[in-house]
Amino acid sequence: MELLLVGISHRTAPVELRERVDFHTRGVGEALRSVAERGSTREAVVVSTCNRAELYAACDDAATTGADLIAFLSEFHGVRATDLAPHVYDIRGLDAARHLFRVAGGLDSLVVGEPQILGQVKEAHTAATNAQTAGPVLNRLFHSSFAVGKRVRTETGLGSGAVSVSYAAAALAKKIFGDLRGRSVAVVGAGEMGKLTALHMKSHGVHTVTIVSRTMAHAARTAEAIGAASAAPWEELDTVLGGADIVITATGAASPILTKARVEALMRPRRNRPLFIIDIAVPRDVEPAAGEIEQLFLYNIDDLQATVRENLARRSTEVARAEAIVTEEVDRFAAWLRSRSAIPTVVALRQRFEAIRRAELERLEFKLSTLPPDARTRVDEITHLIVEKLLLTPTEQLKSLGEADTVEIYAEALTRLFELTEPEPARGTSEPPGGKLEPFTRNRSRLPR
Amino acid sequence: MMNAVPLALYAAAFVAYAWHFGRRNPVIGRTATTLLIAAALSHTFVIGMQTMEAGHVPVGGATSAISTFVWLLAVAYLYTELTTDERAMGVFILPLLVALQTIPAITPGAEEHAAVLQGPLFGVHVSSLLFAYASFALACVIGITYVLLFKEIKAKHLGFFYARLPSLQVLDRMNQRAIVIGWVFLTVGMLVGAVWALQARGGYAAGDPRVQAMSLQDPKIFVALVCWFVYSFELFAARRIGWGGRRAAYLSALGFAIVLLNLVPISYFLTKSHNF
Repeated sequence: MELLLVGISHRTAPVELRERVDFHTRGVGEALRSVAERGSTREAVVVSTCNRAELYAACDDAATTGADLIAFLSEFHGVRATDLAPHVYDIRGLDAARHLFRVAGGLDSLVVGEPQILGQVKEAHTAATNAQTAGPVLNRLFHSSFAVGKRVRTETGLGSGAVSVSYAAAALAKKIFGDLRGRSVAVVGAGEMGKLTALHMKSHGVHTVTIVSRTMAHAARTAEAIGAASAAPWEELDTVLGGADIVITATGAASPILTKARVEALMRPRRNRPLFIIDIAVPRDVEPAAGEIEQLFLYNIDDLQATVRENLARRSTEVARAEAIVTEEVDRFAAWLRSRSAIPTVVALRQRFEAIRRAELERLEFKLSTLPPDARTRVDEITHLIVEKLLLTPTEQLKSLGEADTVEIYAEALTRLFELTEPEPARGTSEPPGGKLEPFTRNRSRLPR
Repeated sequence: MMNAVPLALYAAAFVAYAWHFGRRNPVIGRTATTLLIAAALSHTFVIGMQTMEAGHVPVGGATSAISTFVWLLAVAYLYTELTTDERAMGVFILPLLVALQTIPAITPGAEEHAAVLQGPLFGVHVSSLLFAYASFALACVIGITYVLLFKEIKAKHLGFFYARLPSLQVLDRMNQRAIVIGWVFLTVGMLVGAVWALQARGGYAAGDPRVQAMSLQDPKIFVALVCWFVYSFELFAARRIGWGGRRAAYLSALGFAIVLLNLVPISYFLTKSHNF
């Protein structure tokens, strides 16, 4: 059984292509059924987010399945194979496991350490469970990846701290107001940065967003772009600011619009209600001295960028710790795979011993037939127990072998020593037939940049 | 001496809370809570034993009142932690518990229960006030953390406390709630105490010099009244003149400093009316 990953991500494909290879348009469930129908995989899971579309598979022959899955990607999404080929990566064996673990840990994300990806990986696995395309190998693989995601989150600071200005602004607002639901945001100026920050606040559930601009038409257009926001004329600036909890200023004015005296006048009727002003305009829209006012929190673009830089620096030191967790879990998964790869040999060995036992019992049939029935049963039991005892230690040893190569050597030796043949398809196990030992491929495949 | 067991557990819980505050490891956090629960349970056992021994809850003397106060504060803190799922405050509360619990732990033997201290009103008086003080202790700690976070955000230096404390709004609301609850119990406790003193003076305990000393000139009663004014002002200021946030936090700290003064040094050395 080999592990295989075929897919594209923000590292290899432009957004235009990622949009076309988005599994959500036709549904992950349908994709999984189509993959299963092709018959080239034993197990399959589709991980589909806006930054990646990846197919994880367990199969018998990675080379043919890989080609088949790339063909599937192009057929299923109606993308020409030649368009797709330069962007697709095809990763095999433990490298595929490492890739998934890095994805689940947020190490492969566009914004390193972002928290959504773990949930998306979990959804992907659930979808495959529902479509009954996930089997023992991928179940184990994905559960290990959840463990990686959880450990990265709890044991490292990879996910902590905002890493973009608008995110940092929203995080600060949350530290001041707690829940942002029910809060009002005023945006002064109709520029792009103001819009972006307002959109971010909106995604955190703020109650109202009001845009105030010198040109009413600009304000209205920005309000429309944000959606469910209102616009107000310049003359109403003080009224709007009076009702707001968070103010984002982003005008192109040459001198401060909000002087300390003006802000003080705004604060008086608010009594104790805090006001958070995010001044992302250059030159600044708010007089820096206004920051001295009690219950007023004033941050300008440089302040926010400084916190972002700090967070990014902190994250990069955490990456190494997260990578160490990934490596640890890959080793653990590899050990599990190895113990699995010994299974065919174990099965063959058991069948061989059992065959010998039965043959001997049959050979001695004429002597045994004189015994009473319960004595015969005892003979059968005792011989069975002897075989079990003889096989116990070798079985355990075989399963706990450290290196993949060693497993192969031992299997080879056992096959020769006991003249093992391919085990018959065993009842009750999901093991594939095949006496030859193929633990997992160690092909090192490249990840296109 | 039985009070040493809860003291040891409180100290252990303090170490765990401090460790958790620094490292933010959830396992250590759960350990800290578990240790504190163990401490509170053992403390409950100690107080229960003393109750059975004496036939009433041990609140008659300054030392046992402090022990009961520590127990109440631990339980009140545990309640807020479990309902808000916010563990950051523990590192500030625990030192107070450890310091106060040291007093009953090193005081030998049980106190004599003065015969004059009886009747249902006396029980209401002491338990209301101890509960009020526990609320004020929580409010004080919440206020301190508010100021720490406030300063970090104002100074645009988002660091240690920023990463660990809940939002300013949440802290402010928790502070206000603790003050309201504390104020209600303080008021009830003082009124009931006054009524009890009047009854005692006019009745069975007329001859007791301590009961006779119960007037506004007594330091313990006077300071309690000062406390009441401080907290009343804080409530009024928050609602009428917008003195929330940092100013309310400072007032909470001031109020609780007075409470502590009243609870320990005044009880032991100054009061003539409350030295039981």
